Amino acid sequence: MDIILAAVGNAFTWQALLAIVVGTWTGIIIGGLPGLGSVVGLTIFLPFTFGMDTITSMALLIGVYCGSVYGGSITAILINTPGTPQSAATTFDGYPMTQQGRVDEALGWATFASFFGGVLSCVILILCAPQLAKFAVNFGSIEVFALICLAMMCIVGVSKGSVMKGLICGMIGFFLAMVGSDPITGGDRFTFGSYTLSSGFTLIPVVVGAFALSEVFVRFSSRNDPGATIPEAKLRFPGPGECFKRLIELIRGSFIGSFVGALPGTGAAAAAFMSYATAQKLSPRRDRLGQGEPDGLIASESSNNAVTGSSFIPTLALGIPGDVVTAMMMGAMVIHGITPGVRLMVDQAETVYSLFVVLIIVNVAMLILSKPSISLFRYLFRLHQGYVMAAIIMFSFIGAATVRGNPLDLVVAAVTGIFAYALRRADYPLAPLVIGMVLGPELESSLRRGLLIERGEFLGFFTHSTISMTLFSLLVLVIVWAVWSAIAQRRRSSVNTRHVETDAAK
Amino acid sequence: MKPVRRSLILLMLAGTSHSAFAQDTLDIIVPFAAGGATDIVARSFEPPFSDNLGVTSVVRNVAGASATEGTAEVANSEGNPNIIGYEPAGALSIQPSLKQLPYGPDSFTYICRTTSNPMFLMVSQSSDIENFDQLVAASQEEPLLYGSSGPGTLPQLAVAALVGESDLEASHIPYSGSGPAMNALAGDEIQIMADTETILANYDLRPLAVFADHRIEGYEDVPTIDELGLPEMEFAVWQGLVAPKGISQERKTQYSDACKATLESDRFKSFAENAKAGIAYLGPEDFEAFVKQRYDANKQVLRDVGLIE
Repeated sequence: MDIILAAVGNAFTWQALLAIVVGTWTGIIIGGLPGLGSVVGLTIFLPFTFGMDTITSMALLIGVYCGSVYGGSITAILINTPGTPQSAATTFDGYPMTQQGRVDEALGWATFASFFGGVLSCVILILCAPQLAKFAVNFGSIEVFALICLAMMCIVGVSKGSVMKGLICGMIGFFLAMVGSDPITGGDRFTFGSYTLSSGFTLIPVVVGAFALSEVFVRFSSRNDPGATIPEAKLRFPGPGECFKRLIELIRGSFIGSFVGALPGTGAAAAAFMSYATAQKLSPRRDRLGQGEPDGLIASESSNNAVTGSSFIPTLALGIPGDVVTAMMMGAMVIHGITPGVRLMVDQAETVYSLFVVLIIVNVAMLILSKPSISLFRYLFRLHQGYVMAAIIMFSFIGAATVRGNPLDLVVAAVTGIFAYALRRADYPLAPLVIGMVLGPELESSLRRGLLIERGEFLGFFTHSTISMTLFSLLVLVIVWAVWSAIAQRRRSSVNTRHVETDAAK
Repeated sequence: MKPVRRSLILLMLAGTSHSAFAQDTLDIIVPFAAGGATDIVARSFEPPFSDNLGVTSVVRNVAGASATEGTAEVANSEGNPNIIGYEPAGALSIQPSLKQLPYGPDSFTYICRTTSNPMFLMVSQSSDIENFDQLVAASQEEPLLYGSSGPGTLPQLAVAALVGESDLEASHIPYSGSGPAMNALAGDEIQIMADTETILANYDLRPLAVFADHRIEGYEDVPTIDELGLPEMEFAVWQGLVAPKGISQERKTQYSDACKATLESDRFKSFAENAKAGIAYLGPEDFEAFVKQRYDANKQVLRDVGLIE
């Protein structure tokens, strides 16, 4: 009890609270700017933390992290441009809601789902970090491969109209991710002998090109269209009745996010896609998903924010950073003389508890700061659309350049932007491209590691463990379901057209 | 056309602001993303180093292609006295043998080695293997798997060399970093890993041997490889400073003096203790000889295990 009180005391110093407010708010803004995401935000703030004490610096970094994951949804909803890759799935339903004039509702749901996911994952982190970490360790390469295959199924769901077009875009994303170093042999591939290409393509420049730049091009080509203006950003929280109605969706999204966050190497973008894929199968309103249904927003936002809390599970319980962001956080801990590892929970219990308290305060701060942040975006977007678009181009390129300081990334962003514009004109969905890019590398390396482990026997994957068996059975079930419902739908529509034809014949 | 023209002007303004930078700040290239293990050391090294040198420095992360991207940038800046690289072992002594790179071991002015940590051969604390002989015996029954933080990294090379010289039966599974490899070790997907004391102290691991020529302080009961009746093997994770070719002798001396003073400063020493980074200074000539010796040795291992011809 003393230790919890001490932890609360640590977190409620004015320095820590100030750090939380500053971190969360700038996090939201940085997340909202396309191209600048969690990693850029943390990179900016990391040097400042060197002079602070441990809790304050953690508070600042956690604030930036959680804020940026939420902030990405604001631009995803307002201008169809996810501020961070983690919010890519938010555009599926967020932007259609905006087009229908339901901006306030969309932002309200995104904010509330983010808060809900963040807090629920904190609770899970506090209550069952060791157990969950122990379970997550059982997810080896083969299990992760099965899980990612399941997540890939959401390509089918988000390719509105033509599954074939969706699959083509998914493959393009997948191939882009394969350029560069081979993850198993380390040799160069698809580089055409060019040294510049040997560092491969990273996610941010592609996302920035596919969403932000192509959106700018679309807006320029249709700028006389009155529907192309940016709507006034408003925020309306859902009432308790509505929340209750969609409580299952909120909880499901948060659980998926919490679990995926605990697995090393997957991250918030993958979690959002997995959660969206699940909602497509399980939501009672799944027929309307993709046409401006809050359930889709909830699936995406509750899960990506749930990752923020649970990504600390492997870090705190095992000392293993789950993704780049927690790796940076671990780096900051090392600078302050805390060595993350298996003994952290025992040796540094007070620090760990303070971290929990900070995480909860950050989520509350996020909820409170959502209103002023959205007002700020409203103010910014009130400017002439030309200025807003120019700023988006600027930030997109800054974001693309800062990820790893490689000039190739600027070219990649520009070329992807033009290419994505052409794809959009030809009615190809862009989300599968990003899904392929996000999930592709992990899909490939887990498959190839699995083959090394099973000594080349792919059939061994299915009998590798109970978890892998369950996941693969689930995958078969989902595929059968998808094919069957597609056939049923075609039969229904062909019956309808026949009716129409006979009607016309009369 | 109005919005187009407006935005073009705005973009141009944004472009010009960049060229107003001062030219004599020192660029310290870190070939890894910000926040990584090497970056943290480099960023702690930078303030005392800049003070000693009397300049303002900017740590710049140029990541990608197994750290060769940033290293190549240093090599390509021939004659520029305002750029140095804080380099890991792999980019200087392994990657040039593995792939076609715009640089080789002769492309740099070597400044100093900063840190070096010997690598340990380790298994999970939960396994019942207590020593190297038991490990070999277990691998004879069923071949084992060893992990690494990526293809062509020191953890792979160390165990690969060991497999080549002993009766150990093990094959390699690369992961995307030490973290995922540790996770696999915890879940018994792999059984063996070679890494430094930092990793050893942070996780539930049991050291079986150390890749060094003497036993390590704090791990006195861990035998060296040659004590196991095998040829001597030395593998360590080290870092150092390199500058491009063609800088003046005076500049080189300034750098190496500042490096030495930094490593002796209390500020860096206390950091190194926290981060378990073993300070191991080598001057310009020694460092150059060391890198070239490691380059040749690693090339031999790569050839032996069949990674290169």
